[in-house]
Amino acid sequence: MEKYKYQYLQHFFKFGGIELTKTKVNKSIAEINDRIKRGDAVVVTAEEMVEIVRERGEVEAAKEVDIVTTGTFGAMCSSGAWLNFGHADPPIKMQRVWLNDVEAYSGVAAVDAYIGATQLSETRDFEYGGGHVIEDLVRGKEIKVKAIAYGTDCYPRKELETIVTKDDLNQAVLCNPRSAYQRYVAATNSRDETIYTYMGTLLPNYSNVTYSGSGALSPLHNDPNYETIGVGTRIFLGGAQGYIFWEGTQHAPTKAMGTIMTIGNLKEMDARYIRGATIEGYGTSLYVGLGIPIPIINERVAKTTGISDEEIRVDLTDYGVPRRERPILKEVTYAELKSGRVEVEGKEVPVSPLSSLKQAREIAGILKNWIEDKKFFLAQTVEGLSTDQVFKPIKQIAAAPVAKDLMTREVVTARPSDSITSAAKIFAKRNFDHLPIVDEKGKLVGIVTSWNIAVAVGTGKRKLSEILTSKVIVASEDEPIDAIARKFETHRISGVPVVGTGGELRGILTSEDLSKLIGRRRR
Amino acid sequence: MTKKVLLKYSAEKTKEPILASIIKETGTLLNILHAEVSAEGGEILLAIDAPDAEVNQIIKLFEQRGIETKELKRAIQLDEEKCFDCGACISLCPTGALRLTDDYSVELDEDKCIYCEICVPSCPVRALKISKF
Ligand code: SF4
Ligand code: SF4
Repeated sequence: MEKYKYQYLQHFFKFGGIELTKTKVNKSIAEINDRIKRGDAVVVTAEEMVEIVRERGEVEAAKEVDIVTTGTFGAMCSSGAWLNFGHADPPIKMQRVWLNDVEAYSGVAAVDAYIGATQLSETRDFEYGGGHVIEDLVRGKEIKVKAIAYGTDCYPRKELETIVTKDDLNQAVLCNPRSAYQRYVAATNSRDETIYTYMGTLLPNYSNVTYSGSGALSPLHNDPNYETIGVGTRIFLGGAQGYIFWEGTQHAPTKAMGTIMTIGNLKEMDARYIRGATIEGYGTSLYVGLGIPIPIINERVAKTTGISDEEIRVDLTDYGVPRRERPILKEVTYAELKSGRVEVEGKEVPVSPLSSLKQAREIAGILKNWIEDKKFFLAQTVEGLSTDQVFKPIKQIAAAPVAKDLMTREVVTARPSDSITSAAKIFAKRNFDHLPIVDEKGKLVGIVTSWNIAVAVGTGKRKLSEILTSKVIVASEDEPIDAIARKFETHRISGVPVVGTGGELRGILTSEDLSKLIGRRRR
Repeated sequence: MTKKVLLKYSAEKTKEPILASIIKETGTLLNILHAEVSAEGGEILLAIDAPDAEVNQIIKLFEQRGIETKELKRAIQLDEEKCFDCGACISLCPTGALRLTDDYSVELDEDKCIYCEICVPSCPVRALKISKF
């Protein structure tokens, strides 16, 4: 019954938020806007609302409060801006265009281009990218434009170089395919090396945790049924007033990971809330300040805006495993994350927020002031957002190969107690570089290379246990070949033993095996 | 101002209670920021909050006992104009020199910094800088 009711609710919300169960409090957007006009609308931030609902209950809270403001200020990689440059004389149909050496997409009409936040500069690598171009535009800085074209009868020009600021552009519109994840997983790293991810720098052996999102202040989490948020909702975007114009890409409302597409006039934005960023070892991005006002139209919405950090849970996920389905270690609440320390695998580790909680709070406060100062009015939505959309993975026509598909299973091994001379003989007989050393149960305890043997001969050392390297970089059987190729590159190694979950040796994989595969792929 | 002095111990010296005896002798509080011991010897990074003359005296005492010393003349800056309190740096800082305050501002306490430089590239807007002189 409960489930049926839920689906029924979802069905209705999807088609425009029709009232289903009767609510005691019912306010229209027009009524609330009237109150704003009269100067007596009651506006509180989502953090303040937590207390109000806790103390007075949702019905009283709904009667008392008209609008709850939210805010977030996080890296939103799926961001970019549409720019229109106007026509040159003689005119050019821009085939490719660069802004401060960052390429923008120009596969649209002659002088339109889309600059994406993660596009890297061709001269400055990770230090500068599309996100930085967007920030520089907002700051009113001069941007170097270079365009090339093939030339047509109507657009004869083939090259153009100029310098523009946002004032020279006809339109500069921030247009983000995906913004404001309702919530996002928290990240940690099981590997024994530091990794650099879009979730920031993750130290080895679960030594830190990172997360994104503003928890109780999260715009979408304050109205997770999208009863008031939809196409046409007016929002705070980068310091200006912007709009939601569709559900965001990868919108996954059933997993509490809804997203929105947003749009706003870049020319009116403030660089305090639009920041180009470099994420170490990952690339560039754009931090976007975003806030949604939630009209308290009834007690149901009052209740969802009363959600606290203690109630919002996310999965603590192991980013050390480079697969789509990453292992989940446990659930954590935003309250724990915001406290700055979280327990992982028996130890307390420090936490980094990644999104600015201080500025999230600031944005909710500004939105509140705007409304109180009658500078911001609510917009009636013209269409709801989907509540049952599912985020599907890419359709792959062939599964990506993993270690066990390519590894050599018959591996010559030795024991730690074996003599160096016997190992030297093995190396002499066979043409390979790595000799895995295993214990009596077949567990990998180290590795000896032909180089180690060459050095050891003549030093008086006798047993392999004296010369083996015990810190070995290994691969697991199900590890994707692409991830192993990265290991070869970063550690400058040419082979890895492949081990089972208990550390038992299953095979060996060399760069030769990998190059055979790559050769196949090329063909 | 707090001075930072790096002490390098040889393997034999790590067994002697040199640090404790100097603290006792001078009565100055020596704050250990970082310590590392291996088979080849050890390293201790001290923060000494005392007048210059006193710091020099302490350095001399260590040297008399056969400890190699080096005063770290470095500085770390947090550019408050650039920093937007994202906190990406704080969980990487091994000493708690970078931390989040109750109002979610990020603060840097240079006295605790050991100049490991882990935080510098992690800052998305390049607000952290270490200078050496
Ligand atoms: S260099 Fe950065 S990470 Fe290292 S101790 Fe200093 S503040 Fe902390
Ligand atoms: S990473 Fe940079 S911007 Fe973020 S809190 Fe640290 S210093 Fe500030």
